[in-house]
Amino acid sequence: MQHNELDKQLSQIRDRLAGIERKADNRVFLPCESENVYEVCRFLFSELGLRFVISTGIDAQDCFEVLHHFSDDDSGCVVTVKAFVRNRESPELDSITPLIPGAEWTEREMHDLLGIRFRNHPNLQRLILADDWPEGVYPLRKEMQT
Amino acid sequence: MDWKMWSLKKSVWVFHVNTGACNNCDIEIVNLLTPKFDVERFGIKLVGSPRHADALLVTGVVTRQAAKRLQEVYRQTAKPCVVFCMGACACGTGIFEGAYHVAGPVDNIIRQVDPNAIIVYVPGCPPKPQAMIMGVVKALSALQPEKEYAT
Repeated sequence: MQHNELDKQLSQIRDRLAGIERKADNRVFLPCESENVYEVCRFLFSELGLRFVISTGIDAQDCFEVLHHFSDDDSGCVVTVKAFVRNRESPELDSITPLIPGAEWTEREMHDLLGIRFRNHPNLQRLILADDWPEGVYPLRKEMQT
Repeated sequence: MDWKMWSLKKSVWVFHVNTGACNNCDIEIVNLLTPKFDVERFGIKLVGSPRHADALLVTGVVTRQAAKRLQEVYRQTAKPCVVFCMGACACGTGIFEGAYHVAGPVDNIIRQVDPNAIIVYVPGCPPKPQAMIMGVVKALSALQPEKEYAT
């Protein structure tokens, strides 16, 4: 019954989302456009007090998807903010590191591997690729064949 | 057998290099030093510097970042140096074959700096401690007097 409470709270930011998809008792997806991601994460983190878990990046052929995963430890529910980055030529997204310092390295990793530039990131340096890796080559993009 | 080869076979000091392993082979190598297997009874001992080592225990596929470091560590060891490739990844890149971060299996990387390097393969994911001991025993029995190797 606890998830009704969470659903009610999530509906407060309904106008910034493309939908609220409840996949299971313990799993909610919040798809949104890239310009709303910071505001949605601020609401989840600062106002609902959810815990930031990890971020993942996906190359979904027509766009990039950046997923910020938050955990509601009271109900055990994982809330995922799914941001669509539709510009494949120069993908850009607002960084959530100014809000959540723990997101710094996972955003740098996505920048390395997918080439998504995070606006307002304090230190967008190379993190995990080798020192001799060429600039502008992103190994986890679909067009990269090994 | 000259006295240098005799003393090498009596006490092989090894240096452990992880070039990108998942830690599984490393745990098995540490297991070799526990009382159950206790390889120190054969004189095999982990040392903290490649300059003290007679053998390198290399675990994991060699990543682009680690390739130069592995060559440098090999260069610093006293020759003759036996290179043990521990596990499937070190022997032949394993499941990482063709991945973007892979420089090659351990033997390719070592042979770039020393074509005559002595390389021993212990496959497995991870190899059993008994297999590792057997690899060391076979390598030592194959060692010839020093003059036949490049130093």
